[in-house]
Amino acid sequence: MWHNIWKIASKPDNIPIVGMLFLVMFFGVLSFYLALKNDRIRAAAASRRKEGQPKAKGDVVDVIDIMYPESEQGLPKKISCWPHLVKLEFICAIAVMALLMFWSVPIDAPLEEPSSPALTPNPSKAPWYFLGLQDMLVYFDPWIAGVVLPTFIILGLMVIPYMDVNPKGSGYYTFRERKFAILTYWFGFFVLWVIEIVIGTFCRGPGWMFFWPGQEWDPHRVVAEVNINFNEFLANATGMAGLKSATAGLVIGIGTILGYYVLGMALPYLWLMRRNPVILEQLGFIRFNIVGFLFWTMMALPIKIVLRLIFHVKYILVTPWFNI
Amino acid sequence: MVTEQLEKVKEYVKESRVYKSMFRRGFEDTPRNRVLAIMGNVFLHLHPSHVKRHSVKLTHTWCMGGITFLLFLVLCFTGVFLCFYYHPDKINAYRDMKYFEYDVPFGVVLRNMHRWAAHLMVITVWLHMTRVFMTGAYKPPREFNWVVGVVLLVLTLLLSFTGYLLPDDQLGFWAVTVGTNMARATPLLGHEGPFGEQIGATAYNDIRFALLGGSVVGGNALLRAYIWHCVAMPVTAIIFLAVHFWRTRKDGGTSGPL
Amino acid sequence: MEENKPKEATEAEVKGVLEHPKPAPPPGAQAERSRRGFLVKLGWAGFALFQLSWIVAFMRVFFPRVLFEPPTSFKVGYPWEYTVGVVNTRYQQQYRVWIVRESEGFYALLAKCTHLGCTPVWWEGENKFKCPCHGSGFTKEGVNYEGPAPRPLERLKISLAEDGQILIDSSLVFRQERGEWEKPGAFLKV
Repeated sequence: MWHNIWKIASKPDNIPIVGMLFLVMFFGVLSFYLALKNDRIRAAAASRRKEGQPKAKGDVVDVIDIMYPESEQGLPKKISCWPHLVKLEFICAIAVMALLMFWSVPIDAPLEEPSSPALTPNPSKAPWYFLGLQDMLVYFDPWIAGVVLPTFIILGLMVIPYMDVNPKGSGYYTFRERKFAILTYWFGFFVLWVIEIVIGTFCRGPGWMFFWPGQEWDPHRVVAEVNINFNEFLANATGMAGLKSATAGLVIGIGTILGYYVLGMALPYLWLMRRNPVILEQLGFIRFNIVGFLFWTMMALPIKIVLRLIFHVKYILVTPWFNI
Repeated sequence: MVTEQLEKVKEYVKESRVYKSMFRRGFEDTPRNRVLAIMGNVFLHLHPSHVKRHSVKLTHTWCMGGITFLLFLVLCFTGVFLCFYYHPDKINAYRDMKYFEYDVPFGVVLRNMHRWAAHLMVITVWLHMTRVFMTGAYKPPREFNWVVGVVLLVLTLLLSFTGYLLPDDQLGFWAVTVGTNMARATPLLGHEGPFGEQIGATAYNDIRFALLGGSVVGGNALLRAYIWHCVAMPVTAIIFLAVHFWRTRKDGGTSGPL
Repeated sequence: MEENKPKEATEAEVKGVLEHPKPAPPPGAQAERSRRGFLVKLGWAGFALFQLSWIVAFMRVFFPRVLFEPPTSFKVGYPWEYTVGVVNTRYQQQYRVWIVRESEGFYALLAKCTHLGCTPVWWEGENKFKCPCHGSGFTKEGVNYEGPAPRPLERLKISLAEDGQILIDSSLVFRQERGEWEKPGAFLKV
């Protein structure tokens, strides 16, 4: 078992993936540690202020103050770049160059046989940073997984600053003040993007079949799996055979997708109306809808994964031109 | 005795017209010299003369943006050296890889460094983005710089992807085949995408054809990947990098809004 | 605005400065201005049009006129060279095609998965074409039955050349889901 894992992990092109996984986890933990620490310090200071106690040494007035340990509180807030910053950059550069040298001398970049259009290697994989997209192909047709979703990922990333109207948390680590933003980011980045890459690398074997880590990659393994469309699934579940027709499929498909987005935006709207109307006011109608649309488009991936893996649903909507 | 002589030489050099024409500040550690060190140097003046104290802490910035830029420079440097030997055509491309492996002095290390630095750069870009997100550094007035950063992220991935094809081995060929076949499925623009066929897209006029310069991943595709990889995209990336750095500096550096 | 005003300026004065009436335009100026505005707009429109046509021209550069790709029409030997019921993979490497001999005749399958264009492999023992990229499976006839492939493999135009060899034209494809496999050219009867 370990032999198989080692065989995959030690492939030269997979080393960065292993490195990435640990680096992302390390820096993820670090950022949450810093954020929670800041939150704790500021909460303590706030409660002291509230009780009318005198300002303790190291108490936070300006949010930026949390960046400094007590020993540095009295010092000037600005320091010269030369030498402080330049020195740090120089040391970082040397460390990275050293790492790169020690990596490049013993481990050779992979080079396979000359290219041949007639012989497809099995499995044939995209570069590792696109494996998340390649793995999405299992759940969506190429035009969604390969074109539409990547476009939405890029556009979605670009609009983040314009959608995030929360003025707090600019320039320092915090979790309490930006819970939704941070949780959404980590769900999209870590759970969907990084974990999909790891699955694509370690769990997708010949024929893009799923293998548990350590399981031998057998290209002749037969996966008994019959996937059905969503309307057929409903027909089986409810016992109404009429739902199986193509027209019913079209109606159900369009209805499901429209309902998904409409409900996905309406329910949080109503909930926020009751709980926190200020946020709605800050966001405004258009922004709220863009955030909702992008959020639920992102969530469509895990939902489709669950539908496929547990209920064997292939398409939600089937039309003569495209399927979703 | 020797020290005295050396001191004299040093004095002579520092007083010479040549030296003075290049370096205009002394080495005494004075606030003025510290500022001049930054402002009087075209490379260093990417920095402001002063930054907030916390922004030089490694735990705050992780130095990821800087490392990414360093790796970009390493890639430019090793890439230029690789270009001296590489021919972007179907006959020579793979042969040149073997040439690097067995004949070119330090060819193996050069190629390894180029590849591993590229992989590392993808990771550091993601981590940089994560850090910027976690410190809320995209908030006003720095929204647009985040957008520029996303463009740079996409350029990094595309640079890496176009480079993948260049060895012309099975690994790169099939990765690019699978990748560009997705372009076929682009709605309207690809001949297998939704409504593509209905508006007259074929394998010979759709977006994939424009990317590959043909209907298969052949010689034209290799040449195009090469030109995108070595000329068009690095130049684009440098322009965006300049904007990215300049705006970071104008908006208060890594330390948050001024 | 107001912070920049000298301190002694009263509110009314500031207001007066801000709302200072513009001198009445001389007669005919209205027409002059609209004419000039129109000309400016025309100028910018011409500039934009010029730029746009250049962009289109540069886009056109990406589409080559002449291709140096393998010929689309080729001969694959005489009918008697083929065994009934066997999938011939001899031309897969060269032309990316499988030729299948049935008892009634021949058909040619394009060796290109309909999912993302990988080359499937013929598995004699399991009597199927299996795509290594995402696991699509096709029967010997080319019909998809497992994996993500959305439609059957494409068949190529197959006919007999004048010298009696089988002639395949890969520029003409027949797709089953459109009922094209029944068309002449999709199947070569012997």
